[in-house]
Amino acid sequence: MTRYLRLIRIFTGATISAQLEYRANFIGAVLSSLGQVGVALLAIGVLFGQGIDTVGGWTFREALLVTGFFILTEGFIAVFVQPNMSRIAEAIRTGNMDFTLLKPLDAQFSVSTRYLNVLRVPDLLIGLGLIVYAASALTITPGGVLIAAVLYASALTIVYCIWLALSTTAFWFVKTQNVAELFNGIFGAGRFPVTAFPLPVRFALTFIVPIALITTVPAQAMTGRLSPALAVTSPLLAAGLFAVTRWFWLRAVASYTSASS
Amino acid sequence: MIRKTRVLFATRFAEMAEYRAEVIIWMLSGTISLVMMLVWMAQAAAAPGGQIGGYDGSEFATYFLSVWLVGQLLVVWVGWELDFMIRQGTLSPRLLCPMDPMWAEYAAHVAERFVRIGPMLVLLAIFAWLSGASFTREWWAYPVALGLCILGFTCRFLYEYSLGLLAFWTESSTAFSEVAWLLYAALGGLFAPLAFYPQWVQNIAVWTPFPYMLGLPAQLLAGKATLGQAGFGALILFGWVVLFWFVRLAVWRLGLKKYGAVGA
Repeated sequence: MTRYLRLIRIFTGATISAQLEYRANFIGAVLSSLGQVGVALLAIGVLFGQGIDTVGGWTFREALLVTGFFILTEGFIAVFVQPNMSRIAEAIRTGNMDFTLLKPLDAQFSVSTRYLNVLRVPDLLIGLGLIVYAASALTITPGGVLIAAVLYASALTIVYCIWLALSTTAFWFVKTQNVAELFNGIFGAGRFPVTAFPLPVRFALTFIVPIALITTVPAQAMTGRLSPALAVTSPLLAAGLFAVTRWFWLRAVASYTSASS
Repeated sequence: MIRKTRVLFATRFAEMAEYRAEVIIWMLSGTISLVMMLVWMAQAAAAPGGQIGGYDGSEFATYFLSVWLVGQLLVVWVGWELDFMIRQGTLSPRLLCPMDPMWAEYAAHVAERFVRIGPMLVLLAIFAWLSGASFTREWWAYPVALGLCILGFTCRFLYEYSLGLLAFWTESSTAFSEVAWLLYAALGGLFAPLAFYPQWVQNIAVWTPFPYMLGLPAQLLAGKATLGQAGFGALILFGWVVLFWFVRLAVWRLGLKKYGAVGA
C-alpha cells in the first residue's frame, strides 16, 4: 500500500515537471477555466432571469450547488481521469502497453494514476468555490455535508468506472476517444438538477446513464432532502461498477496479444 | 483551378467518408442545445400560461433544434488539427505543396458536411417528431439560412485557423480554441434565444459575429426572423470574414518565419 502511495507521488512529480514546460498554455488554460464557469453561470442565470423562482423545485442557490458539483466533476475528469484514459488506446495501438503489463505493479493502477493535467486544476478550485458560495446562503448541517462527501466520493468512483470501462474497450476496438466524447456530451446534462428535465429524460439520466447520481444527488444530500433509497443506491452502484470494471479490465488484459500480432 | 478544386474535394470526401461512424458520434456528442431544449421545455410546461418570454414548449423545441442543426453545419476542428501538425512537425511536407495548406483543410471541412448531412436530417426528423417542433413554412427562409451558415462557417473557420496558428508561438493552442468556443456558445445563443439574455450581454453580442452565425439562421428556420434582419446579419458576417481573412494571412506569414523550432 505504501509502495503505491509512493508511486503516486513520483508519478505526480514527473507529470507536473513535464507540464510546466508549456508555460504559455497555462494562461490559455486559466482563461478557458474562467470562461467555462462564466458560461455555466450564464446558462443558469438566463434561465432564472426570466422571472422564474425555481427550476424543477430548486431555487437559484440550490441549482448553483449542482452547477458547482458539475464543474468540480469536469475538473476531476480533466485533471485525473482523461489524461490517463486517453492514453490507453494509444498504448495499445503502439504496443507500449507491453511495458506497463510487464512491470511488477498492478496494471490498472499504473494506467489510472500515471498522468495528471495540472493545467485544469483551476477547474477544481472554481467548482469548490462555487459549492461553498452556493452553500453559504443555504441551511446546511454538518451531517448533510458528511453524507454529501460520501455520496460524491461514490459519484467520482462511478465516473472513473464508466471512463475505464469505455477505455478498456480499446483492447478490442483500438479507437475509443469518440466514446469519451459521447460521455462528455451526455454528462453536459449534469449541469442542471435532474428534476429540471421532462420525466422520461429524468428516468434515463438516473437509471440508464447515472448522471443524476453524480451531480444532483450530492447536492440533495447537502440541502438535506435526499430520499434514503437514493442515498443507498449511489454507493452500491459505485461498488458494483467498480467490481464489474475490474473484472472487465482483467479479462481485457488476458486477451491482449500486443500490437502487430 | 476548377480541376484542382474538384480533386481536392473528391479526395477529402473519400477520407471523410472513412470516418462516417465517428461523424455520427461527433454529432451525438454536441448535445448542449438539446439539453437546453429539454430544460426550457420543462420550464415552459410548468410556467403559468405554458409560456416563457413568448415561447411555448414547441417554439422552444423549434428554436433549439434549429440551433442544433446550424451548429452541426458550423463545426470546425481546424484549430486542433493545426495544433497537432505544428507540434508534431507534420506541417512541413504540406508546405512543399504548391498551395496554401488552408485550402486542403477547408475542403476537408466542407466534404465532412456532405457526410454529415444524411444522418443529421434523419436525427433532426426524429427529434422534431419527439419534441413537437415545427419549422417555418416560408420557403425563402431555408436558402437564406443556408447562406448565413456558409458565411458563418467561413468566419468561424478563419478565426479558428488563426487561433490554431498560435501554436507556432505557444507549443499548444487548444486552450485558445476552447475559449473561442465558449464565446461562440454563449453569445451565439446556444443556451437561450439572445433576447432572453441580460441587456448588457446583448449589447456586447451584437458587435460580435456570433449571434449572426448561430442564433440568426436558427431564428430564420423557426420563422422568428425577417429577411431584413438576415440581410443585416449577412453584411456584418461578411465584414468579419474579410477582417479574419487578413488576420489569418498576417498570423500565417509571421508564424512561418517562426516555424522550424519544432520537428523540423
